[in-house]
Amino acid sequence: MKITALLVLKCIESSGSDPIVLANASDVSQFGYFQRTGAKEFILFVGRTVAKRTPPGQRQSVQNEEYKVHSYNRNGLCALAFMDDHYPVRSAFSLLNKVLDEYQKNFGDSWRTVQTDSTQPWPYLNDALTKFQDPAEADKLLKIQRDLDETKIILHKTIDSVLARGEKLDSLVEKSSDLSAASQMFYKQAKKTNQCCTIL
Amino acid sequence: MSSSSVSSYRDRTSEFRSLSERLKKVEGIDARIGPGSDREMSTASEAFARSEFNKKASRIGLGIHETCQKISRLAKLAKRSSMFDDPVMEIQELTALIKNDITALNAAVSDMQTLQNLEVADGNCSKDRVVHATTICDDLKNKLMGTTKQFKDVLTTRTENLKAHENRRQIFSTNTSRENTFLHQSEAVTEPPPWSNTVNASGNFPPSVMPSNGVQNSNILRRRLAVDSTPTHHMEVSMLQQVAPRQENYTQSRSVALQNVESTISELGGIFTQLASMVAQQGELAIRIDDNMDESLVNVEGARGALLKHLTKISSNRWLLIKIFAILILFLLVFVMFVL
Repeated sequence: MKITALLVLKCIESSGSDPIVLANASDVSQFGYFQRTGAKEFILFVGRTVAKRTPPGQRQSVQNEEYKVHSYNRNGLCALAFMDDHYPVRSAFSLLNKVLDEYQKNFGDSWRTVQTDSTQPWPYLNDALTKFQDPAEADKLLKIQRDLDETKIILHKTIDSVLARGEKLDSLVEKSSDLSAASQMFYKQAKKTNQCCTIL
Repeated sequence: MSSSSVSSYRDRTSEFRSLSERLKKVEGIDARIGPGSDREMSTASEAFARSEFNKKASRIGLGIHETCQKISRLAKLAKRSSMFDDPVMEIQELTALIKNDITALNAAVSDMQTLQNLEVADGNCSKDRVVHATTICDDLKNKLMGTTKQFKDVLTTRTENLKAHENRRQIFSTNTSRENTFLHQSEAVTEPPPWSNTVNASGNFPPSVMPSNGVQNSNILRRRLAVDSTPTHHMEVSMLQQVAPRQENYTQSRSVALQNVESTISELGGIFTQLASMVAQQGELAIRIDDNMDESLVNVEGARGALLKHLTKISSNRWLLIKIFAILILFLLVFVMFVL
């Protein structure tokens, strides 16, 4: 479950021109050293193509060999994510939502005037790349589901231990009733011996 | 409603005929013979035309009744629709069916009206027959209007339901996905506008159906309907790549996940209550144990006291014995001294 790259692009309405890269964060450590630059170029190219073909206000997932590219175009600002097949789609889109919100919070509307690819790295994106390797971080629903499942397991264990406690209490009840019966016999015997040997 | 009114028509033509024959007998015998045969023949031909009219009327009445039933089914479906498993296809099919039925019935009623007008203009029918035919027409028209009103009500409830669902979706999803759900709605709503347009075209219905749909569409939706309904229907086929499922799956998967979370939470609630009841039961057991222990403590203490008393008795008895033996020996000594 790995995210390979996160991209933010600016998509122009007219589908003639290529989208412009606004931010780029990629993790190509899985490739060999010599293939890394090639992989980065590939990511850029594929990202531009997919962003060009994503109409505004639409989400899209494209499968490419063993990678999935998820893209979300919101009012001309497009976010893409390259991830493998195991990453749940929903978490991917919520991640893209978050990235877009963060970008708009940080840069406001300045991205609309950008005409060339920006090469400055955006630290938030890099952090996001590492943080969101685990899909539960990105998707709150998934996290909630996971927490609830853990809680359910803990509760099952609790119920099991409560049942064991019930059994022990049962045996305690039996033993205490035996004890009280025995002590009653003891008392009667003592009274009997007391009564009979008065003359002696 | 229509069935009862259909069955409330009682056919009393036989009674009428017997009554008229009796009256004729009373008035004049010869008056019967002449026009009698003609009248029979004309009544026969009139009967044909009348039965044609009646057949049409009865068919229309039957159609109205069936449409009423369908509308009630649709109303049931629209009322029970939950947020997640909307029987959208069924509802829309049923709506289209009902609309077709209503338009057909409308056409049939207007047909019957023209037929009756022709008949009235044609031959000299009795005034009663004209009145009868006009009352039938009016009655059917009123029934049809009633059913269309019902249909309209059902549609308004359905759109209100959909609006409520939209609002709930807005509460639980963020800004961007709100636009997405509007898009999702645009899929469903592009179907209603075609039929609502034809509904307006049929003329009988006031255009209140359109505004209820319009309320549901916000401005964003209208713009997106123009922009997106066509792109969502184009599936991009890119060169090397194979397009994954459409974005409706996003909202659907989110709704499924929400359902799961909801059911898990309720399960957890049930587990907690079970746990509480079990612990309460075991509390009772603990109280029983406590009581038993108290009882045995009391018994043991009583037995201890008895044994202590026994002990003191035994130990004190020795003293008593010594004392008694001493006194006996004293008495023996005294007796021995007396004898000696």
